[in-house]
Amino acid sequence: MVARKFSFLAAATALVVMLIGSIGTSFAEKPTVLQPCVQCHKAEKSVIRGTLVSVTEKFRTINVQVGQKLVWVISYGDDLKLIGAEKLSAVPKDKEIGVTFTGDEKKPYAVSLSVKPPAKVAQEKLVSLEEMTKLIAEGPEKGNYVLIDSRPAARFNEGHLPYAVSLDNAKFDTPINAEEAKKEVPLTFKDTALPKQKDKLVIFYCGGVT
Amino acid sequence: MPLWKKTGNLIVSEPAALKDFITKDIAHVLVDLRDAGAARKGFIPGAVSLPAKELASSKDRFPADKSAPIILYSDTVDSDAFKTVRGWGYKDTSVLNGGIAAWTAAGGKLQQGDPATTISYVPKPRPGEISIEEFKAIAEKGDPGKLILDVRDTDEAMNGMIKGAVNIPAGEILSRSKELPKDKEIITHCQTGLRAESAYEDLKEAGYKGRFLNALIQIDKDGKYEITKK
Repeated sequence: MVARKFSFLAAATALVVMLIGSIGTSFAEKPTVLQPCVQCHKAEKSVIRGTLVSVTEKFRTINVQVGQKLVWVISYGDDLKLIGAEKLSAVPKDKEIGVTFTGDEKKPYAVSLSVKPPAKVAQEKLVSLEEMTKLIAEGPEKGNYVLIDSRPAARFNEGHLPYAVSLDNAKFDTPINAEEAKKEVPLTFKDTALPKQKDKLVIFYCGGVT
Repeated sequence: MPLWKKTGNLIVSEPAALKDFITKDIAHVLVDLRDAGAARKGFIPGAVSLPAKELASSKDRFPADKSAPIILYSDTVDSDAFKTVRGWGYKDTSVLNGGIAAWTAAGGKLQQGDPATTISYVPKPRPGEISIEEFKAIAEKGDPGKLILDVRDTDEAMNGMIKGAVNIPAGEILSRSKELPKDKEIITHCQTGLRAESAYEDLKEAGYKGRFLNALIQIDKDGKYEITKK
């Protein structure tokens, strides 16, 4: 629902930008990177990183959400270079994208658009089957770890690794019940599953291809 | 998980899943590994009594279908019994986590008397499963009364979807169910049937009618697809 509202907003913004063009307000100091993206990306002068709101074909603009109330409207042409997608229409709404542009911040023109590739886990962060077998033989107390099954609860119930705790990835930030949901800072599933001791090793596993 | 399972390591299951098997009448094999005397005093409904010491010599009593879900229980988590049955090739073997005590603690009932001693296993489709043939017919010709719902993540769906299908990732079904028509039957699919089933359950709870495809499906950029039985 929210996304839909935004796409309407973005279309309207695009229209306004097209109509008033450069006489609009200054865009200087406008953030270029959406909050979650800063985990891996620093702000760069000519790159906008955020989620795709919509592509307005009529006005040839790409609308990228970079803040709760901030949508960048970037023009594009036939020379747009796509990385990670065959065509612009194949990029799904809300997908994380990066757009490199030229020109003034007031009238950005997209040079390339890259779609976020699937996240890769660094080798040193992976636990091998052999290590896992050893850790399970030791048990979580002696081994000083917490094992998290991130599949839906029903899958967990049907069968899981010994000592594993269920924490459905889709419910990571979801309040544990309706009562908690009413609170300002509700207790979420992650609060109940993750250890209080932050130095503990936390191991996640899922169902691979589902 | 798939690697752990494939290599034959110990898998434990929860009383909640066993309850589901029993109440939804999903085909399974439940084995009580305790001595016959203990079993008679109170066993989980539907269990077959097969004391642990006789297990190793009882291979012939197990079903021909190696994909049968087999749940073993006793007073503890018997990893030796698991190894024996898993070693015979039953890839869906698990041990009830916490044993019979966990079952009663979770509100599970016990039955008294003589438990069955022969295993009978008749595989049947899971509730809500659509046949591959029927799914194909809907995907090919379309059906005004049905909607194919692709519940894979947007990343996966962007690489190809069935023509006419709608994509809502399984984790977003409950919050976005209003986008779906109530007067149509919603047929869910993912890549293996797992997410499709959980989406089907979510939809059923939200008052929608539907079924799910419990099979492997690959879809290419042009919407061409291939379905393989699990």
